[in-house]
Amino acid sequence: MSIFKRLYQYRELLKTSIKKDIGGKYKNSFLGVIWSFINPLLQITVYAIVFPLIMRNNIENYTVFMVCGLIPWTFFSSVVNRTSFVMVENGNIIKKVYFPREILPISLVTSEAITFIISTIIIIGFVLAFGVGITWLIVFYPLLLLAEYVLLIGISLIVSSVTVYFRDLQHFIGVFLQLLFYGTPIVYSLDFIPEHLRWIFKLNPMTYIIQGFRDIFYYHQVPQVKEILMVIVVGIILTIVGYGIFNKLQKRFAEEL
Amino acid sequence: MQEKENRIVVEHVYKTFNVYLDKANSIKEKLLFWKRNRKETREVLKDINLTIKNGEAVALIGVNGSGKSTLLKLMTKIIYPNKGKITTNGKLTSLLELGAGFHPDFSGRENIYFNASIFGLTKKEIDKRLDKIIEFSELGAYIDNPVRTYSSGMYMRLAFSVAINVDAEILLVDEILSVGDQHFQEKCINKMKELKKEGKTMVFVTHSLQSARELCDRAVWLNKGVIQMDGKTDEVIDEYIKQTT
Repeated sequence: MSIFKRLYQYRELLKTSIKKDIGGKYKNSFLGVIWSFINPLLQITVYAIVFPLIMRNNIENYTVFMVCGLIPWTFFSSVVNRTSFVMVENGNIIKKVYFPREILPISLVTSEAITFIISTIIIIGFVLAFGVGITWLIVFYPLLLLAEYVLLIGISLIVSSVTVYFRDLQHFIGVFLQLLFYGTPIVYSLDFIPEHLRWIFKLNPMTYIIQGFRDIFYYHQVPQVKEILMVIVVGIILTIVGYGIFNKLQKRFAEEL
Repeated sequence: MQEKENRIVVEHVYKTFNVYLDKANSIKEKLLFWKRNRKETREVLKDINLTIKNGEAVALIGVNGSGKSTLLKLMTKIIYPNKGKITTNGKLTSLLELGAGFHPDFSGRENIYFNASIFGLTKKEIDKRLDKIIEFSELGAYIDNPVRTYSSGMYMRLAFSVAINVDAEILLVDEILSVGDQHFQEKCINKMKELKKEGKTMVFVTHSLQSARELCDRAVWLNKGVIQMDGKTDEVIDEYIKQTT
């Protein structure tokens, strides 16, 4: 049976798990959904103070510059982080009921994508507050969102299934994400990197996505559509490979959990 | 008589479990102690062949550890065989453990939606069955309370009501009827008889030979991972009692 047919058949489960994920996260907290704004805002405040102090830069409106990179990055890092726990957390259901296991990573990426769309309000707020303004270029937003989404689906299929067999991968992922945070032009611009080292950064698909978001919100220039389409192609390849791995590994999930 | 459709076909199925004596479930340990990864393999099922036709109610009997539950799990695709093939034909519901996937903080009603969606139902289909499910569970006004406030009997009633109202062609049930009071047990057995009459296919794992006799027309006796006997319920159970007591 094809994966799409199966996902369509189980669309209600997909929908309820997304709702459960978004609703459950804030169900028992006093401030509720406001947390999804307070958290990044605090982070932005810290970075906006710290980075200009330790890093000399002549970037105009540095805070806006950084926010445009930080919000998409948060989407990426929270998916990669959470996806390494998703199977273990749901071990109880996996061991007792049959359902397409890929629903778990897919609903996680989707619910985080919705959170990301909501937190785009933060970017827009900063852009307006600092007088950078908004242009028609915002029409490229869905394309960039799609690129990051597809990329994350591929990554999450691989990470979620492999961590069932190697539990301490979770720790590696935490460290790896921290490293990648500095390896991606989020708090700095790619121009800061010496010419002969730039190719390393160009191997990182997140570089293109963050530059794309920055192009449409900060620089107000048409993003490099060709590069973004490349990221989508990479994402699709990762998804196909990842689904193959996932399918092979998921057969023993119930025994390994 | 017309040849009936096959619902479950089990062909030459083998299942072994790896039993890790000290579980090296991390990269660190696999690298450091790659020699020391002691594990035993335990053969749970050996060359099982079984064909269950449409409308049959089959009881799986056998002592503890004979592989009954494993066979049932293989049929639901929670686990997969090492060798051999299992094909099922038709919508399948399993009741392996009651209320698997219930979220304690959500109300009974919300859990009905979640649980039924795990069985692959769409919202429309659940809406249509909601009243029937609530009525069957006899939970009344409690249905809107969080599930964590339920007694184990209420929990079981809700779970059973969902599973039985999914309208699956195949129902797999693992020893669960022992929960619940006499009244509800009878109700469940009656409901299952009704489903049988409607032509549903059922497989039970049970230790209650009485309910096996009452519900099933065929019994399969598993012993140490092989099928010891397969035939009419009464004959198999009589032989089983003779040999195990």
